[in-house]
Amino acid sequence: MFNKDTNENIKEAETVIGPSIKVKGNFHGQGNIIIEGEIEGSVKTDNYLLVGEKSIITANVKAKNAKINGKVTGNIQIDEYLEIGNTAIIIGDINAKILSISKGARLNGKCSMNEQGINIEKK
Amino acid sequence: MYIYIYDNFVNQKKYESILAKIETRITDLGLNGKITRLSVMSSLADTIKSELKKGAKTIVVVGDDRTLNKAISVLADFISDNSCFKKIPLGFIPINKKNNTIAEYLGLSYNESACDMLSTRRIKTLDLGLVNDNYFLTQANIRTKNTIIEIDSTYSIEISEPGEISIINLPIIPNLPKNFNINAQDGALDLFIKTKSSKNIFFNKKNSSEQSVFSFKKLNILNKYSPLVLDNTFEVKCPAIIKASDEKINLIVGKKRLF
Repeated sequence: MFNKDTNENIKEAETVIGPSIKVKGNFHGQGNIIIEGEIEGSVKTDNYLLVGEKSIITANVKAKNAKINGKVTGNIQIDEYLEIGNTAIIIGDINAKILSISKGARLNGKCSMNEQGINIEKK
Repeated sequence: MYIYIYDNFVNQKKYESILAKIETRITDLGLNGKITRLSVMSSLADTIKSELKKGAKTIVVVGDDRTLNKAISVLADFISDNSCFKKIPLGFIPINKKNNTIAEYLGLSYNESACDMLSTRRIKTLDLGLVNDNYFLTQANIRTKNTIIEIDSTYSIEISEPGEISIINLPIIPNLPKNFNINAQDGALDLFIKTKSSKNIFFNKKNSSEQSVFSFKKLNILNKYSPLVLDNTFEVKCPAIIKASDEKINLIVGKKRLF
């Protein structure tokens, strides 16, 4: 059910960061975001975030729902559902209301599923 | 009253028969008005401003992409200082397909056939992009090489592969992804970056490319070597600040417009 919803959502991506793109700074959006490239700074969206297999994110991440398949160095705060794919490498703390981690994913950090969330202001 | 402004280049003899057919068609449709031919001594800006002050109700320019871009810039600039003219519609008669890439997206035919669209008078209010002090209707393009982009003063974009950057108001890019809703009536501009895929080139896949899309309010573009090209015609040197203009344009478009 969720996958179907997110697949439909991602057809309406507001931002797509391709593999040859490097973004530096505070990247804040309101719509769905697809990241296939590199980001340094912070990432925030009120909607869905899809992090591709080859992407490298050195940033704190905040989103409503997310699927992580690439490398993230930073804390991740997801309001609802966080899906960690089997190619994901996460170095940082994560917080989500609902969480799934695929076999093969690497997670180095604290994992919490409480209402308070985590501090993503300081990495 | 219709004011028809012929760009300087259509004064050449080879366009005589086309202009004659246009004038006949205009008469047949009952759209007669004043015809002004631009020359080396007369500018489009002065002509449009002068005719508006005299009471012109519709301005129609006859020429190519460059003519349309200039007319839009003049009209938008004039409207910004004289808001009482903001409802004046701009019509366009493209002369031949050469150097007329925008007409198709506006749903306009070429030469005398375009007069029928004037008759239908289907007017759309469209946003404009603003690069420094220059307006554009469709896109501003620049090569990715040596280009740095700063968006909304909060983040910057670096591009590692060769390709093209387009700041889009009215999209005229073929093969733009269907899942991006880019149009000239949403009050915003979009940044579209198309680069060659090094991985796919390695595997000899032809025509492979990677696409990135960003929404923004204000964009600063830096490139010491390449200019921005507005509406496929007009070059502006960098650094340039790009944003959606407060001014809009009322364009007479065709039924087959692509937006």
